[in-house]
Amino acid sequence: MPWYLHLALRQLFPTGRRFPFFTLISTLGVALGVALLVIVMSVMGGFAHEIRHMIVDTEGEVQIVARGGIGDYPAVVRKVESVPGVAAATPYARDEVMIRFNDKPAYPLLRGLDLDSVERVTRLGRYVRAGSLDDLDDDSIILSGQLAASIGARVGDTVEVYSPLIISKLAADEVFLPRQVRVVGILEIGHQQLDSSTVYGTLRLAQDLYGLGSTVHGIDVRLNPGVNEDDAAARINAVLPEDIRALSWEDSFSDFLWVLNLERGMIFFLLLFIVIVAAFSVTSSLLISVVRKTREIGLLSALGARPIHVAACFCAQGLFIGVLGTAAGLVLGFTALAVRNDIVLWIMKVTQRQEVLRRFYQFSELPSHTSGATVGLIVVLTIAISTLAGLLPAWKAARLKPVEALRSE
Amino acid sequence: MSETVLSARGLRKSYPSGDALLEVLRGVDLDVAAGESISVRGVSGSGKSTLLNLLAGLDAPDSGTVAWEGSADTGARRRAAYLGMVFQSFYLVPELDAFANVLLARRILGGVDGAARARARELLKHVGLGERAHHLPSHLSGGERQRVALARALMNSPRLILADEPTGNLDEGTGNGVVDLLLGLCLSANAALVLVTHNAAHAAKTRRSLVLHAGRLEPPFTA
Repeated sequence: MPWYLHLALRQLFPTGRRFPFFTLISTLGVALGVALLVIVMSVMGGFAHEIRHMIVDTEGEVQIVARGGIGDYPAVVRKVESVPGVAAATPYARDEVMIRFNDKPAYPLLRGLDLDSVERVTRLGRYVRAGSLDDLDDDSIILSGQLAASIGARVGDTVEVYSPLIISKLAADEVFLPRQVRVVGILEIGHQQLDSSTVYGTLRLAQDLYGLGSTVHGIDVRLNPGVNEDDAAARINAVLPEDIRALSWEDSFSDFLWVLNLERGMIFFLLLFIVIVAAFSVTSSLLISVVRKTREIGLLSALGARPIHVAACFCAQGLFIGVLGTAAGLVLGFTALAVRNDIVLWIMKVTQRQEVLRRFYQFSELPSHTSGATVGLIVVLTIAISTLAGLLPAWKAARLKPVEALRSE
Repeated sequence: MSETVLSARGLRKSYPSGDALLEVLRGVDLDVAAGESISVRGVSGSGKSTLLNLLAGLDAPDSGTVAWEGSADTGARRRAAYLGMVFQSFYLVPELDAFANVLLARRILGGVDGAARARARELLKHVGLGERAHHLPSHLSGGERQRVALARALMNSPRLILADEPTGNLDEGTGNGVVDLLLGLCLSANAALVLVTHNAAHAAKTRRSLVLHAGRLEPPFTA
């Protein structure tokens, strides 16, 4: 091992002292920054992962849309299902309605499902908390959980559904009565927006309410496992007419995903400042060390050490603190992630806000998804920042003139 | 004729003192033969340490030259192999034990192997610290620290040792022991020695005594 690395290690871990105060505090600062980055980025990744599952589970991996709707949708479905990599396709109609129960109105989005094919594409059935998807027919609906709670409807109740067509009918002096439908299920997906404003009915019910005839608004597509969504969307587009387009779920929700990524990027950037502040503390400690060890630096020159190696000795201390702090931070971060739900439960018990958390996030457990790339970025950036923290002290040490260093008091 | 390991010609060095320049060295000439021991005495502030720093290549003269074995290369890389230095304040690295301090000289030169470790142990035994090899400097007495510094100076088998008042921080008895050890080690290693000292008795033990007076090296005045 080169002498400057050996001496750097010895200065951090002197003989006979396992963990000196300077090393402990500097390492702890870096470790806390890394742990926080890992925890927050993993939890945010967990939320994003859950949202991805939720989207794919309710709408498939690829969405086909057309301006003005798709007329001969059975033919389009057949074409799509013949594309390699496509497992199944299901048509849907979707628009806003007004529903009313016990004089309480709500304005959700009604999504009409093709009962013959919907379960081959979506996994809506697994989100039904009360009732069953099998009970759905042209005179019934399934309400999302928060919507049902807000109007007070339960399984078995009858609600009124008003179509947007009512406006054009009224303009033509026609009478248009609301549809009376039974509630046959309550569905909770786990996303606040969907759970507060979505109603599921049959495709025919939606077509009737919107006056679509045999037209549908779009087709959801399920892919075989491992098939790339973008590649599949391109293959589907190749067999579709130009006015009907297939988009991967990432393209369909690109705005939402952009905001999600922006949030993650901003939080990463802000939390990185903890590591930067810790690095400043390393710089400050190493600068003090340079002043304290001025005569030793003079001695090293007298023994034949070159200024670049003297600099490397101090820079290496920043590097070692970075490596050690990163390792400790990863252990701390992953340990905290492993017990995250216990921590959340404890906080909720103490603050008595358990219900609020459930209402807004709907996750029974705090999600976590750690991306290897994110951890890699955290490791590389932290070690680089810590090493850079040693640069200024290293430069000061290298600039010391041996004679002046040896003479210093 | 013995080979000259150190040759200085016309060394001049001055330092700013207020508005004026204080000329510390005014043309110093010195030749040191292989294995020779020379003492340099002089009053405080006469420029003894300045001269030693110039001879070690740690500082540059205003004019004049320093050559080691005829070569003007006195850079860091050559210094590690050619020169050993001993200081008044020992300058041991506090985080390293005695053995690691001795071995540090070889680490800087490069190539620490079993033989180097064995030599470091042998040198520590030679200076009477074989049993204290793994003691930190803070656990050693002043005399013991200086003996570690002597072992470190000899680690790379240098041709020349420059000692700057090595007994300045030691009591008389310990100082005498250290000087005797230093002279003995240089003799057995055939290393030349330039010993800067205030002590006339220590100076008398070297083969040649010089006095730095008015910026020049002169033979000692004898009544």
